[in-house]
Amino acid sequence: MTSSKLSDHVRAETNASPSLTDITRDVSTEIPALSSVSPISSSSQHPPNSIRSRGLAQISKELANSMITTKPPGANSNISGNSIPKSHLYTTPGPPTTVVSNVMFYFHHVLLLSLFFVISIYKNINYLYRRLLLKFYTLTYYPNKSPQIIRDDVNRLSKIPKVISCILDLKDDDDENGGIDGLINQISELSAWTVSAGIPQLVIYEYNGVLINNKGNLAQLKRYISKNLTLYYGTDLVPNYSIRIPHKNLIIYSDPAVTAKEELSLEILLLSRVDGKPTIVELTKTMSELAINKELSIKDISIELIDEELLELVGPEPDLLISFGPSLDLQDYPPWHIRLSEIYWEPDNKDVSYAVFIRALQQFSNCKVNVGK
Amino acid sequence: MPSAPTSSTFSLKSILDLIVYFPVVSYLMGFLEDFIIDVLKTGPVPTHVAFVMDGNRRYSKAKNLPLKDGHSAGAETLVSVLDVCFRLGVEHVTVYAFSIENFNRSSEEVDTLFGLLRDRLKQMSEHEESYARLNKVRVRIIGNKSYIPEDILRDLDKVEEITKQASTRRTLNVCFPYTSRDDITNSLKNIANKVATGEIASKEDITLEILRENNYFGPDVPLLDILIRTSGHTRLSDFMLWQANYNCTIEFVNTLWPDFKFFSITSLLLKWSYYKTLQLEERYIQGIKDDTDYTKRMELLKDLPPPPPFASVSER
Repeated sequence: MTSSKLSDHVRAETNASPSLTDITRDVSTEIPALSSVSPISSSSQHPPNSIRSRGLAQISKELANSMITTKPPGANSNISGNSIPKSHLYTTPGPPTTVVSNVMFYFHHVLLLSLFFVISIYKNINYLYRRLLLKFYTLTYYPNKSPQIIRDDVNRLSKIPKVISCILDLKDDDDENGGIDGLINQISELSAWTVSAGIPQLVIYEYNGVLINNKGNLAQLKRYISKNLTLYYGTDLVPNYSIRIPHKNLIIYSDPAVTAKEELSLEILLLSRVDGKPTIVELTKTMSELAINKELSIKDISIELIDEELLELVGPEPDLLISFGPSLDLQDYPPWHIRLSEIYWEPDNKDVSYAVFIRALQQFSNCKVNVGK
Repeated sequence: MPSAPTSSTFSLKSILDLIVYFPVVSYLMGFLEDFIIDVLKTGPVPTHVAFVMDGNRRYSKAKNLPLKDGHSAGAETLVSVLDVCFRLGVEHVTVYAFSIENFNRSSEEVDTLFGLLRDRLKQMSEHEESYARLNKVRVRIIGNKSYIPEDILRDLDKVEEITKQASTRRTLNVCFPYTSRDDITNSLKNIANKVATGEIASKEDITLEILRENNYFGPDVPLLDILIRTSGHTRLSDFMLWQANYNCTIEFVNTLWPDFKFFSITSLLLKWSYYKTLQLEERYIQGIKDDTDYTKRMELLKDLPPPPPFASVSER
């Protein structure tokens, strides 16, 4: 059983092209897409579980409301189904039965809610402090569109990762740096920093895969990255890079003439949630089919074999994983690949800023990896 | 024992410890702990909590203790943390006791760890009034059992057997020896086997859910809510990658595991409870009632009161 055969099977299942397809020319003739070309349903814009921050006043009001409107359970039951019962504050011990335990329950619950109230005040002060700190870092570390400064910053570190991965959020169109344009802008900045830092591979993870599903967006991405690299390196000496989409097995080269892997300074990979667990499911299907047809013995399924396949189908294991969200949320990132990745995130940070990027590299250089020891 | 660390004898911490562990005070502290647990109980409580118990060796190094004492201090912390979780109403607690990669350590330490684990689990379940049986905790060993030596495996099976009957919602999952990649591989193999024997009809029936059900944890273990790693490493180290990467709070704390006491665990649970409340509140506003049902949001239109009658020019 050759490994390439397995991944070909999986690709056939997911309608990807069997061999790595170069769509550079395709993309360069495509008219750059307007954002109206790619309508995305608003329901798929955000992964369901990022905790969005809310204002102090709103939270305090709601907590105060729920303190006042907390009723004994008996009062809820006779309200018709129209109004939703308050039981969404779900409780584990079940509805208290006796009067004493009922009173005690609400006494404790009120205490908990006042505790939450105090926490919300503390969180908001903390939020202010962190934002100020981040502002300070942004002023301290500023790349100034100069590769020299970035390389100097990086050269103070004892080691750097070989593969860096970033989890990006697609923000609302109305937000600052939001929508597909904002995402493309962030990726182009990240690629400039990565190439200047001397890191050869950049893996971008975006939950919905809005860039991957639309060729117009890809064309725009390529144009923006090239444009941004021109700002860093000048018009003549723009580093060569490639953009690869493992799920569809497509690749785009910055310069159609340069396709050798050694000559590329940066390889960008675009991932989305389909590259995570769904790909492992596809692999399972393929392997089971081959096992039925006696082409693969079940005994041969090993960590090494799966690892080889997933490297082929999804891409390399990142050494450093940076989440640019306000709280650590892995958003269904391919689970196989984050085994030993150093994870970095900045609490309450919402922007893709150079300060966060360089601080992540600093933490990586300080960490010690000892597998099992 | 080597020379006692003289500098820390009169430190503020040791004086505080003396006060805290003074009988009367510790009695009162017990009341305080009960009270805090009662308060936390009234909010949302996670159903599944996992711990990476990291820092035993650094603890023993810092305290100038032999390695073995560090590990037993860690085991003691585990019992107290378990107690807090179960009293709060957490149904499943999972601990990373031993990684397959840990076989890279010196054989002496591996033997110590194996022995210690066996002794502790035995101690927890041996007698009628020992911890696991008194509190009706079911102990499960999760991981690749083919790595465990014969004699230890026999003892562990016995522990699992004794605690199995307890009709209970409290389960302690001990991951030993476990890595998540091994888990995923095992799940894949199981499914391939089932397809080969016809238990799963066709390959189209393989779904995410089936992959989850076939891992070492099995179908009954609820989704992971919190993963806590002590001692400051911000890596998952091959632990519950499949479970932790979606809808799960990951906490990296700087405390070493033996120092991870009552207040460390309760503050993390309080934080989780706080965010969960906010999240539930937000969903409540959006009209989503639980995690699984996002289609509920669509029904908001149907929930609205009916509009006034139409008045149309075409239907005169």
